[in-house]
Amino acid sequence: MLDAVSILSILALALGLVLGYAAIRYKVEGNPLVDQIDAILPQTQCGQCDFPGCRPYAEAIASGEAEINQCPPGGQDGVDALAELLDVETLTLNAEHGETKPKRIAVVDEKVCIGCTLCIQACPVDAFVGSSKVMTQVIVSECTGCDLCLPVCPVDCIDMVEVKPTINTFVPNVLELANV
Amino acid sequence: MSNFTFKGGLVLENPFPAKEIDLIRIPLPDRVVLPMQQRIGDQAKPCVSVGDHVLTGQVIATIDDDRCAPVHASISGTVVAIDNQVMAHQSGLEALCVTIESDGEDEWMDNSVACTENYDFCTPDTIYNKIRLSGIVGMGGAGFPTHTKVQFAEGCHTLIVNATECEPGIMCDDALMQAYPTKVIRGVEVLLHICGAEKAIIAIEDDKKESIELLRKFCKNERITIEAIPTKYTSGAEKILVKSLLGIEIPSGGYASDVGVLCQNVGTLVAIFDAVVENRPLISRVVTITGSAIKEPKNLQVRLGASYDYVLSFADIEQGENDIRMAGMMMGVDLEGTNYSISKNTNCIFVNKPIEKPSAQECIRCGMCNTVCPVELLPQQLYWYSKSSNIEKALDYNLLDCIECGCCSHVCPSNIPLVDYYQFAKALNKQQTKEKEQTDNARERFEFREFRLERNKQERAEMMEAKKKALKEKMAKDKAQKIAIAAAQERVNAAKTAKESEDAR
Ligand code: SF4
Ligand code: SF4
Ligand code: SF4
Ligand code: SF4
Repeated sequence: MLDAVSILSILALALGLVLGYAAIRYKVEGNPLVDQIDAILPQTQCGQCDFPGCRPYAEAIASGEAEINQCPPGGQDGVDALAELLDVETLTLNAEHGETKPKRIAVVDEKVCIGCTLCIQACPVDAFVGSSKVMTQVIVSECTGCDLCLPVCPVDCIDMVEVKPTINTFVPNVLELANV
Repeated sequence: MSNFTFKGGLVLENPFPAKEIDLIRIPLPDRVVLPMQQRIGDQAKPCVSVGDHVLTGQVIATIDDDRCAPVHASISGTVVAIDNQVMAHQSGLEALCVTIESDGEDEWMDNSVACTENYDFCTPDTIYNKIRLSGIVGMGGAGFPTHTKVQFAEGCHTLIVNATECEPGIMCDDALMQAYPTKVIRGVEVLLHICGAEKAIIAIEDDKKESIELLRKFCKNERITIEAIPTKYTSGAEKILVKSLLGIEIPSGGYASDVGVLCQNVGTLVAIFDAVVENRPLISRVVTITGSAIKEPKNLQVRLGASYDYVLSFADIEQGENDIRMAGMMMGVDLEGTNYSISKNTNCIFVNKPIEKPSAQECIRCGMCNTVCPVELLPQQLYWYSKSSNIEKALDYNLLDCIECGCCSHVCPSNIPLVDYYQFAKALNKQQTKEKEQTDNARERFEFREFRLERNKQERAEMMEAKKKALKEKMAKDKAQKIAIAAAQERVNAAKTAKESEDAR
């Protein structure tokens, strides 16, 4: 028994090292253009662009397989920034992929949650804490507001709540100033 | 010795001088509204519930963050609401407040465990904690928690007491010094005792003759000097004060504590005295009521949380629609109506007769803003970059060193509200920095998750592989064994047959 455990952990460690190394190697050799595009994408990881995350979409743009106007969370500003980076004509955001919404975060209704962990598996950024049969919670600072956890919840206990500005995060409107 | 002055700035008269600088204690308000959001950190969490009876000085909200200050009840009575109220802030946003209705008794919590006059016997740690638990923040208007500032300044050589009055028109420091000269001196001594500085300088603008005289009369401590400095606006800004008094330049992006100096407002020192010697947490402050619609400006000692309406009812206000401005004429904020309450950093309320605001014109590049900037920035450049939201460039031009004093806006012949642009740029910078942190974090977490899933998949594959191999080996072994057994059987059989045939023969 002990042998099996130690063998497995050594195996896991070795594998981890190999993969970690591979990741670093991959990064170094990766296309710097993909990194630059990825830096502009909002990292919501929502998949609305039809790719399973921002990086895959960045790769698709870099290889010319996708248009630059497929990311609703990035908004028109994001499209413009991509156009500038790639030195191409800008496009209007493609409405087929969805509309730009204000920043929201997921809130779990603790009273209803049955602890099924389906949301944990769906979240692209591991923003949930909890384990099987214990109610789940969202780490506010990690949630990107991607909506991916909504459809998987069997009891519909996840709500998307808009993030409202507070006194600490308030930004005055500079255009209003110009009209003074 | 230097003449204690500095480059830039403005010589401004008090627009509404008072005949007499008295400190008037106004009666207890019927109700107080105390905000949970303070200058830095998160919102404090109320530790009382609606219906609870509280005593004056009782803690009603705490905060986990050690750098921040707790909130105390400023009157005794019943908690009647814990809800969102509009803040006296340019955003007009709401924030959580605790409302207490007075029982008219002003019954204090037990405050018998003070260090008393013999604070010398208290360790600096004890006194430091006392300041922290008394909810004291900078009373000059910035509202930074005092204990945190003291902590940052550990090992400082000089304590500067800022009694310059932040802006023309505000008189609360002057009124406080004239009312409590001994408390000021004792407060300085308490702070000297814990911060370790060798000497303290109390800096007072030279137009406050009575205060200077009084403090000199009551100060018997040779470690404390009282300096009269020229009356010139922004002399009280920390960076400027350190430079004009000590000739020490605070580097860009730095603080007074970086050069071994601790700066505290004179109001803060009185609060420290009250907390340490009398065990009274911060529950009141001095507010100047002035402006063109006020017949005689006044300085009122007010319980925190009292409504503007209540406080203004003690001033002689001319009838009609008036404009309300919180804090000074240079750095203050215009407010809509009077539905607010006095907070720890409300040093002044202006009530002005409405005047037509001159409309802003294009910048004519006259450079007047550049000459008056006391921090020696280039306001004109900052304006261009802020206006075009070019935060990177604005930061290059030291946007973050701007103290928002408003000297540049004041002299601008085109009436451009320059400071508003800098405030916008600073807020935008804060937002962008936070967003960048969040996206970087999300990217990292996404990539880690991909990696984890991939690793799990591989691990599972390896495990399956290992199992398969083991099974195969086992099967092979089984087979070999079977063959061996069969072979043995065969041999036995053969031997048997041989024996049998032999026997038969
Ligand atoms: S649509 Fe969603 S997944 Fe695609 S790039 Fe935008 S944020 Fe990322
Ligand atoms: S908690 Fe839900 S909305 Fe937030 S990041 Fe995870 S899956 Fe997306
Ligand atoms: S507001 Fe800023 S830029 Fe303008 S004079 Fe004051 S410090 Fe200089
Ligand atoms: S004072 Fe006003 S008009 Fe003159 S340079 Fe500065 S911003 Fe421009």
